[in-house]
Amino acid sequence: MSQTEKFSAVESLALIESMINKAQNKYSENGTLYLLWGWVVFLCAVLHYGLLTFTQLGKSSSLVWLLTLLAMAYQLYYIARQQKNAQVKNYTDEIIGYVWIVFGVCMGLVSFIISQIGSWQLLYAFILLFYGMPTFLTGAIMRFTPLKFGGILCWALAVCSVYVQSREIILLLIPAVLGAWIIPGYLLRAKFKKSING
Amino acid sequence: MFKELDPILHSQLRLAVMSLLISVKEAEFTFIKEKTNATAGNLSVQVQKLKDAGYIEVIKQFKDNYPQTTCKVTPEGVKAFEAYVQALQQYLKV
Repeated sequence: MSQTEKFSAVESLALIESMINKAQNKYSENGTLYLLWGWVVFLCAVLHYGLLTFTQLGKSSSLVWLLTLLAMAYQLYYIARQQKNAQVKNYTDEIIGYVWIVFGVCMGLVSFIISQIGSWQLLYAFILLFYGMPTFLTGAIMRFTPLKFGGILCWALAVCSVYVQSREIILLLIPAVLGAWIIPGYLLRAKFKKSING
Repeated sequence: MFKELDPILHSQLRLAVMSLLISVKEAEFTFIKEKTNATAGNLSVQVQKLKDAGYIEVIKQFKDNYPQTTCKVTPEGVKAFEAYVQALQQYLKV
């Protein structure tokens, strides 16, 4: 860019607009964490249901959910690496980060409360309710409609969970993560690749 | 009566840098260089001028043993940028 000292007001505004667009066009979300969590929850839900239905493991089959600890460890490593390599930090990513921290805290607290009270029938309704909240908010902040639809789907499934009070309730997690995280995750990945190549 | 345009901002490269930084929380020098297509030397000079005016903060540190320069706009810079845009709008109303 040349260092021309004299330029018109119209040129100045055009320059401001073009630079703001350039800053905003750096699409930083590549969908990796959506895909990670989507597939981990998908796998855990299928395994949990399969073990409950086809084996005699009973309650201990829920131990498959310990796989999420591995996903959490990978997520922490991934975020640390991303932050280290990031050339630019923007406000959108920061707000989205806080939204997901709130989600993590709420999920942890609700799991603790429900485990203490013993109302397991409420657990899936709350899980689906909480899945919907950060998904919808992220979609709204990023202006990415598939995530908004994913959030709404989770809320609809939370209502359905009230009427499915058997082990099949676990299977509600499958359409939830498919609609909220896996499909949007692949769409985000495609958009990210396009923004890099384009 | 027109407001006088801020001479620090009414320069192509400095205005480009400020417009980039106003949209993000902070950005590395290499990112600004890539987006403005400026040479490193020219950009360094203009960044220093913005820093001297108090419009941006420049943080120099090391990342993996390599020097890293990060820039972020200051509250004073935000005010100056807003005043500059208002002045431009006033010019364009005529």
